[in-house]
Amino acid sequence: MSAETGVIHDIGYRRYTGRRLGRAQIIRALYWHSLRSAFGFGRGAKAKIVPVITFVVICLPAVVSAVSVARGNGRLVPYDTYTFQLRVVVMIIYIAAQAPELVSRDLRSHVLPLYFCRPLRRLDYPLAKLAAFITACLAMIEIPLLLLYIGTIAQSHGGSAIWQQTRALIPGLLVGLMWAVLLAAIGLALASLSGRRAYATGAIAIYFFLTYILAGILISVTQRNVVRAVAPPAGAPPGAPQKFEQVTQVATTGSHLSGLVSPFTTLDGVREWLGGTSPSLVPGVGRYGPLYGAMVLVLLAASLGGLFARYRKAGAL
Amino acid sequence: MSVQPLPLAQGPPAEPDPGTAVIQTTALTKRYPGAVTALDALTVRVEPGITGLVGANGAGKSTLIKILLGLLQPTSGQAWVLGGDCLRDAERIRTLTGYMPEHDCLPPDVTATEFVTHLGRMSGLPPTAAKERAAESLRHVGLYEERYRQIGTYSTGMKQRVKLAQALVGDPRLLLLDEPTIGLDPAGRNSMLELISRIGAEFGISIVVASHLLGEIERICDHLVAIESGRLLRADTMTSMTQVSQVLLIEVDEGSDLLLAELGQRGLEPRAYQRALLVRLEDDGTYDTVRDAVADLGLPLNRLERRRRRVEELFRDEQEQGSETPEASHVG
Repeated sequence: MSAETGVIHDIGYRRYTGRRLGRAQIIRALYWHSLRSAFGFGRGAKAKIVPVITFVVICLPAVVSAVSVARGNGRLVPYDTYTFQLRVVVMIIYIAAQAPELVSRDLRSHVLPLYFCRPLRRLDYPLAKLAAFITACLAMIEIPLLLLYIGTIAQSHGGSAIWQQTRALIPGLLVGLMWAVLLAAIGLALASLSGRRAYATGAIAIYFFLTYILAGILISVTQRNVVRAVAPPAGAPPGAPQKFEQVTQVATTGSHLSGLVSPFTTLDGVREWLGGTSPSLVPGVGRYGPLYGAMVLVLLAASLGGLFARYRKAGAL
Repeated sequence: MSVQPLPLAQGPPAEPDPGTAVIQTTALTKRYPGAVTALDALTVRVEPGITGLVGANGAGKSTLIKILLGLLQPTSGQAWVLGGDCLRDAERIRTLTGYMPEHDCLPPDVTATEFVTHLGRMSGLPPTAAKERAAESLRHVGLYEERYRQIGTYSTGMKQRVKLAQALVGDPRLLLLDEPTIGLDPAGRNSMLELISRIGAEFGISIVVASHLLGEIERICDHLVAIESGRLLRADTMTSMTQVSQVLLIEVDEGSDLLLAELGQRGLEPRAYQRALLVRLEDDGTYDTVRDAVADLGLPLNRLERRRRRVEELFRDEQEQGSETPEASHVG
């Protein structure tokens, strides 16, 4: 060991003479940083728990279907709805947990002035966050679809079978895109309302769950039950109460419109309106399809407007 | 030798050449809704070096900084930073300027290294450069092994250093520090001021230090800009401010009253200051007069010291005199 080792030389201040990235590349850097944090990368193990569990759960149906296909049965899950209920629950949990991770933390620790005193402009910040969260939601929704597709075509023989699967997959991917954009926008807009993570998570979960349950209740109470009298059993005393059994449920205008209450049923209504064939939770959008389409746009505009207004007003540095 | 063209007649500069000035404002005014005037026709010029921006809370220091960073639009007037217009060249100015906010702005659950690296990326540094410069900046502010710990575990002094490191990471030409010593104990304040002084002197970075504690920052500043209610109170170099008048402090163990009278008779206008006396130092003759007076009275002289007047006292005098109109004046 020479005497030289361990000597610290103060090399003083060095100027930076290298390349400087422009605004677009800084936005991209913030996008990547945010996308990583949407899955808990670059953070402790605790931050990865919810993203990992929700991702595994949402992939399960695709895996089960692949096993079923491998055993010679058909594909279990449709591409356009996947497993609607499961997807709703998983996405609510994922968004409620991760949207605050992207925006509430920075609000909480008042770190925004440090972003805005750098080359970024005001709206670049929410833009990068939104793009990152849409990508994250897209991954949550589309990767299971791709697994489902791969699991199915792995056992398909012949080009026409594969082509058939591909043609069924594409609308599913488009529906997924619609979900990702709308849900990410709503999630971030709600999360940006509060710097306290717990409040932000609560607001998102309550909004999504409550509207979803409400839509379900409204749909069921507005449907008209068609019943028929059951013939009384032989030997029944006259005057015994007559029994009815339900034959079917008939959609009414009210039930057609009930789906508009929740973003999830609204999205499903649009899917049906645009030609989705799988059985739907919404009892048929009837002639109100365009209304569902308009509702998606209204929700999206309101969320984006709220999100961007939040950061334009963040002038209180 | 070629004939130099005559300089153009100098009228009131509509767009003055910022020249070597780091910051230049002309008639900069900011009114908030509700008729609150934060800046009132502020015209000031800041030269390279360390400049103290002093004023009471609410004097308009933070508003000025936000306008300089292009984060606030002035109601009227113009401002230039590093030769660029604050409205048109905001992006370039922000690339070349580091800002340390007054308030807490650090996330508790990341390490200083991660945090400063990320903000280096946000300053436009490529990934590797951001890592290197983050490590260097943290070393310059005196954070070594601690930088791998989460910021939440830091003391206030260490947090202030992280705030300074993030301002340095992008290799700025100008640092805007808003109350950098806030919340620090006296020892922490001293080391923060030393650090700022070193950054200004050794790193060659111009610094504007906003503070409401004049007495604290006066010792590290080359220039001083004092604002009050959004108007310029005074701007000058430190030396010219403190040289304006010097004071001689005389302390005798006993007989202060006698000396006070004696010095008065010799035409020095002394005034009592705590246990001592103060006289205005006109020239070397003042020393002789004092010496003779003390010797003639046979008093035990304890202390004879030339005092630099603190800038605070200068401002206090001015405010007492009151009526000086805050006009455009230049530092440097």
